[in-house]
Amino acid sequence: MRILVVEDESKMADYLRKALTESGYAVEIALDGLDGQHLAQESEFDLIILDVMLPGLDGWQLLQIIRRKWQTPVLFLTARDSVDDRVKGLELGADDYLVKPFSYAELLARVRTLLRRGPPREVEHFVAGDLSLDLLRRRVTRNGERLTLTNKEFSLLHLLLSREGEVLSRSLIASQIWQMNFDSDTNVVDVAIRRLRAKVDDPYSLKLIHTVRGIGYMLEVQS
Amino acid sequence: MFALVSTPLLGSIGFYLYQSLQREIAWRDDQALLGRLERMQALISDSDSIEQLRSRPKLYENMLGNRENLLWIVDDTGKVLIEINPVGMTLPKLPTAPHARLVDAHSAASVRLAWQDVMQGDRGLTLIAGKLLSERDQMLAAYRLKLWVAMSVGALLAFVLGWWVSRRGLRPVRMLAKRAAGIDVQHLHLRLDEFNDLNELQVLSKALNQMLARLEDGFTQLSRFSEDLAHEMRTPLSNLMGHTQQNLRYSRSIEDYQNLLVSNQEEYERLARMIDSMLFLARTEHSHASVNYESISLHDLVEQLCEYFEGVAQERDVKLINQADGELWADPVLIRRALANLLSNALRYGAPAAEVVINSLAAEDRIEVSVHNQGQPISVEHLPRLFERFYRCDPSRNQPDDSGGLGLAIVRSIMQLHGGQVTVDSSQLGTNFRLVFPIRNA
Repeated sequence: MRILVVEDESKMADYLRKALTESGYAVEIALDGLDGQHLAQESEFDLIILDVMLPGLDGWQLLQIIRRKWQTPVLFLTARDSVDDRVKGLELGADDYLVKPFSYAELLARVRTLLRRGPPREVEHFVAGDLSLDLLRRRVTRNGERLTLTNKEFSLLHLLLSREGEVLSRSLIASQIWQMNFDSDTNVVDVAIRRLRAKVDDPYSLKLIHTVRGIGYMLEVQS
Repeated sequence: MFALVSTPLLGSIGFYLYQSLQREIAWRDDQALLGRLERMQALISDSDSIEQLRSRPKLYENMLGNRENLLWIVDDTGKVLIEINPVGMTLPKLPTAPHARLVDAHSAASVRLAWQDVMQGDRGLTLIAGKLLSERDQMLAAYRLKLWVAMSVGALLAFVLGWWVSRRGLRPVRMLAKRAAGIDVQHLHLRLDEFNDLNELQVLSKALNQMLARLEDGFTQLSRFSEDLAHEMRTPLSNLMGHTQQNLRYSRSIEDYQNLLVSNQEEYERLARMIDSMLFLARTEHSHASVNYESISLHDLVEQLCEYFEGVAQERDVKLINQADGELWADPVLIRRALANLLSNALRYGAPAAEVVINSLAAEDRIEVSVHNQGQPISVEHLPRLFERFYRCDPSRNQPDDSGGLGLAIVRSIMQLHGGQVTVDSSQLGTNFRLVFPIRNA
């Protein structure tokens, strides 16, 4: 998967290149709008990450040029999160936006979503190690034993399983499970994870739910 | 300005007076001429013949009295029987007139003539009386001149007096302007003088002073806020710099570096949250911030929040009790945020192993939602300032999960956006925050 990053701030560009390369993507960097236009026209990319404020040719203009010929997904980055800016980007044909400062987990989640072509598969049955979750029957078993979870614990486990191997930030979890779309600074998510672990992980030797320090939580089978 | 207005006014008054005087004089002259004709007619019918009249010239000369007056008696053959004509004017041709008629004639001098045809026995006579207009013209010219002089002097006086009066009258305004010019950002505490004797200015200066007081308040708040902001950002920044520099001084184990990065990350998140909250406040304080009103079921909304805080509450052995019900017309996203801030505070400062009660009350003109906790009462002196940004009851307290002192400020902004308010009271029984929503009459 090839990603073009058009970003004039070199530290941000460097960070994006490292983060995306580590996650297994091939990354090309353009440090201004004209370079970006040149690169975009020269070769094919699976995703373009576009900063709005660029010297030479700004993000909006570049987006318009790209949209004239290609349907490559575009994720734009902006430090101004006014509603007008977001609407403008989406109207010009951007597929998604991220407001700076954004978290690492958030970036990777958006990139994955945009690269996953088509709607996400509706999975009804999840398995990770000896843990299985049946969405329709709302049953969770571990090592063959039935676990009793509350509604929110079930939703949380479902979220972690559906994004297996992906680090989920606290704010993403809060917004997905409780529709708390603002940064609530209580440790609600930590408590919820702790309680889920008490039921899902604590009695077993193989731990599935992992804390990624400074980033968030992840469910993964690690040997 | 005053002179500009008064000059045309004086001019038109003068013109009107002149016109009416002229008309009046002309009318009186005409009446005199006609009267003279009548008297001549009477004289003729008294006297037996014109000859008799001609032999008594003194009679009518005296009657006429001066050089201004003219008189002719002409018979129907055109022969002039009597002529008094000191200016030697030729007799004008006149149409026959059984009744007295008047005309302006211009020959050597302008003259006003009145004439009438009368019968004396079998003889037709034409009586003509005239008056030279030179005297009248002279008089009117003198009058015109006087009028011009009076008007010029009047205009000049109007100008000077107007200037003086307006200057004198506007002196308080100039003082006000001078005073106002002296007020700038450094001198916002200054106030304008109150003019107690001038009613209009008193109202104006009072209104301006009130405006200044509001500006000063706003400005003080803004500058204190900027100071607080700088201070609030300094603390996490100095943590970041200190820790990072201390770690860079010597080589450390990988674990130390990881710990440093995690600690840094926490500070970054704190800063990011603070900036988010600041932006949120900045936007909600613009009155044009959008509020998406919806009908909200209070019980469901509070239930959702209780679920969210359930885990934290249970860890502190606090019971969340949802007694809210009814419908509320408000922005669900904003209200959820306001209530979440109140609940988070209630849990943080409430006594452990106690209750937090969320209640609602529907009155005729308002809906109240209250969050009550049982904890240490907040001292009275803190209550009014609780909703200010960055205000902390205990300046040294800076708990790790602190909202950065903006939580209640956000609640207040959200309530202001809804046209409502947030109030607090605190006693030994606990602390009660109340969100008051006015009911709009649809």
